[in-house]
Amino acid sequence: MSIFLDHNATTPLEPRVLDAMLPLLRGTHGNPASVHRFGREARVALDRARAQVAALVNAQPPQVMFTSGGTEADNLALRGAVHAAPRSRLLVSSIEHAAVQETADALAKDGWAVERIPVDSECRVDLPALEKLLDGGARLVSVMLANNETGAIQDVCAAAGLAHARGALLHTDAIQAAGKMPVDFTALGADLMTLSAHKLNGPRGVGALIRNRRVDLSPQITGGGQEQGLRGGTENLAGAVGFGVAAELARVELNARCRHLRALRDHLEAQLKQLSGVRIFAAHAERLPNTVQFAIDGYAGEWLVMELDRRGFAVSSGSACHSASGRPSHVLLAMGCNDTVARGAVRVSLGVENSVDDLDALLATLGAITARRRGAVAFA
Amino acid sequence: MPEKIIYLDYAATTPVDARVAQKMAGCLTCEGLFANPASAHAPGRKARGAVEQARVQVAALVNADLGEIIFTSGATESDNLAIKGAAHFYRNKGRHVVTSRIEHKAVLDTCKQLERDGFEVTYIKPDADGLIGPQAVAQALRPDTVLVSIMHVNNEIGTANDIAAIGAIVHAHGAWFHVDAAQSAGKLPIDLKQLPVDLMSFSGHKLYGPKGIGALYVRSQSHVNLDPLIHGGGHEHGLRSGTLATHQIVGMGEAYRIAREEMSKDVTHCSALRQQLWQALHAEVPEALLNGHPTQRVCGILNVGFPGIEGESLLFACHDLAVSGGSACTSADKTPSFVLRALGRDDQLAGSSIRFSVGRFTTKEEVQTAAHIVSGEYHRLRELAPAAG
Amino acid sequence: MSDPFAGYNDTVRTHFRTPRNAGRFAAGHERILAGSAGQRRHGREVEFQLQVTADGRIGDCRYHVYGCPATIALCSLTSEALKGRTPAEAAGFSVVALADQLGLPAEKRDAAVTVEDAVRAAAGRYNAALAVSPAVPQLQA
Repeated sequence: MSIFLDHNATTPLEPRVLDAMLPLLRGTHGNPASVHRFGREARVALDRARAQVAALVNAQPPQVMFTSGGTEADNLALRGAVHAAPRSRLLVSSIEHAAVQETADALAKDGWAVERIPVDSECRVDLPALEKLLDGGARLVSVMLANNETGAIQDVCAAAGLAHARGALLHTDAIQAAGKMPVDFTALGADLMTLSAHKLNGPRGVGALIRNRRVDLSPQITGGGQEQGLRGGTENLAGAVGFGVAAELARVELNARCRHLRALRDHLEAQLKQLSGVRIFAAHAERLPNTVQFAIDGYAGEWLVMELDRRGFAVSSGSACHSASGRPSHVLLAMGCNDTVARGAVRVSLGVENSVDDLDALLATLGAITARRRGAVAFA
Repeated sequence: MPEKIIYLDYAATTPVDARVAQKMAGCLTCEGLFANPASAHAPGRKARGAVEQARVQVAALVNADLGEIIFTSGATESDNLAIKGAAHFYRNKGRHVVTSRIEHKAVLDTCKQLERDGFEVTYIKPDADGLIGPQAVAQALRPDTVLVSIMHVNNEIGTANDIAAIGAIVHAHGAWFHVDAAQSAGKLPIDLKQLPVDLMSFSGHKLYGPKGIGALYVRSQSHVNLDPLIHGGGHEHGLRSGTLATHQIVGMGEAYRIAREEMSKDVTHCSALRQQLWQALHAEVPEALLNGHPTQRVCGILNVGFPGIEGESLLFACHDLAVSGGSACTSADKTPSFVLRALGRDDQLAGSSIRFSVGRFTTKEEVQTAAHIVSGEYHRLRELAPAAG
Repeated sequence: MSDPFAGYNDTVRTHFRTPRNAGRFAAGHERILAGSAGQRRHGREVEFQLQVTADGRIGDCRYHVYGCPATIALCSLTSEALKGRTPAEAAGFSVVALADQLGLPAEKRDAAVTVEDAVRAAAGRYNAALAVSPAVPQLQA
């Protein structure tokens, strides 16, 4: 049995969420677009899920559009917003998830003007730099609420204020933040916000784009008129219902979960610092209560991840979506880390089911690995 | 309202097969395959293994290669990816696309968007039986045609197009051929080693799998390139980014495995039920009209026009049957079915047509009861109406 | 996407499923006023018959109807409401107000207007002569 410490990649499904989903997988359930009773019941279930997701981030239910996941929602936000305003400019922070980064790259290839907003060495978006970039005009600014690698929380409220003052829209990818900190769509002043179910103990394959309805979006998947015409395709009913329940649980249990995660994280960090040559990234930034990204001097992150994996610990070196590429983290590079330091990164991301024992086992194993290899050339 | 409603809307969506649900439940729990398949650690590798097995199962049903199957969020996304992806990638080669007037909205709405993006689209009119003939496709082709998209089986009337013949014409012309097979997979034999098809869309929830998952077949031999629709992470050969939903994929894989193993049983079962339903309706309502070709068709869909009565009343009277007045995706919209109108049915008859679709779990008794309810309501409404004239 | 039948309350549903007074008076009935409105190709056709008693009031009604559930239910409800009224009162009876009371959606106003027109056409054939002469021939439907 391995110990799962990679919750920023995905989270195990909450049993209560599974219980809510199973009847939908087993019974006869209609297409929500059908007019008969099966279809109506499906629609009622979908509407309840929409209200639950809305409540998690203090949005209105009609502002919630279900998608096949966070990546699709990020794509819809960026492409949808710029396609609705020809020849417009797009500003994205340099620490965004690949779903935003690569969409921005693709838009740049198609001739849209795309600029990156820099961050400081603590992984915080440089607001004065954003302000300067906004002088050139922009349709959309995309700044994530919490970074998936370091856990650093961004001042999205301030970024929204700057964007709005220049007539730009603000999109925030809140995939990592939701369920791990209070998220208030309305108070943040965001126009678009991305959520994902499987990062908050919901099912994979379902996400949402929260949209302030004055924002014009051009649909990216057409056909059937679902989700207010912005996202065609028969809804993933069981997925949406699971997302709804997961969101409700995350909302109700938020404080307890955060306390638990923070206590674990503080314990882990305090103990990590006892090992020699440990550097914790974004240590001085406000961070998510569950995320620690660190490097141990002289060790390659990929190697540590593999050694831990062999011993039954699932951690990562950064974003799961890039684990196959072998490239150093673009987030750490953006923070000004050099290539060697960036390649040293190991990310531990905790979940509600983790315990102090899990962490003590991890720490003991890390201690053993590094003691054995201390002094050896770790960069193979 | 009676407790038990008879579900005859399998073409809109199917219940999840219990075997599929069980496989999915196994992936969702902590002990199961919940990890991110993109992660390098052991739980991630295990999830990846399950995904690849599902890919084998989907590929096997349609005799495709493993590497030719891209998982998507559903057939609608597959249609979008195929059509927009190919049209945009080859836009410097030509900007003309051919499709038919009776495609699913996923294709039609996407083609409408292409028109807004500067493409020209020809919409072929079906013949009176609802078929798209190869000759009609040949006539629509132009030197700048880059893509032809024709559905295998129509979702409203169930007619099956000769995609082998159409594909041969499209390929001789040097264009790419996309086929929406959401309604035909598992119901008609599909052999992609033989068929001249470059891109084919599949759905999970039309074949006893879960909603929110589908696939696009991309023929490796034809080297067709697509502009991706969703970026970020480079999943699915970079064609479709986003974390793969393991339980959804595993569910679709299991559904396709069962469909392959039980296809002849399913087809025999559905054909018999459809025949029984049509005979019972025709005996009670001799003036009822069959919409769509009588034999060149899929086994489970029966679309019947009921002359002399108003459509909304018929559908409302049969409210305790789960049937469809048209495609579910447009059925809240009361305008008569664009498919039936394309076949030349007048607004009245198009409006008073019902699509019955039977499936694996439909019983003879349900079909008998349904025929009884529909014909009874038909006669009641017919008697209520003034003499025609 | 909304349920297209959501605008039909229980009263509408009941009268649609079991319409009262449907059909036509058998041949030989006397003192019958008939009127029609609507066209089938426009989706609605209503024929109304009113039987006027010797004291000049509507004793019974019959109708034929082709149309949506709202049209059918409104014919049934109207046929009940007209009993006991004078033809002049029937001609002024507002089916549109009835539709509003039932909470029918605004797009069903045309259905109410069609039923109202058929009733008015029938009631409009009443005159003093009819009131005193029991032998008025049945009007063509």
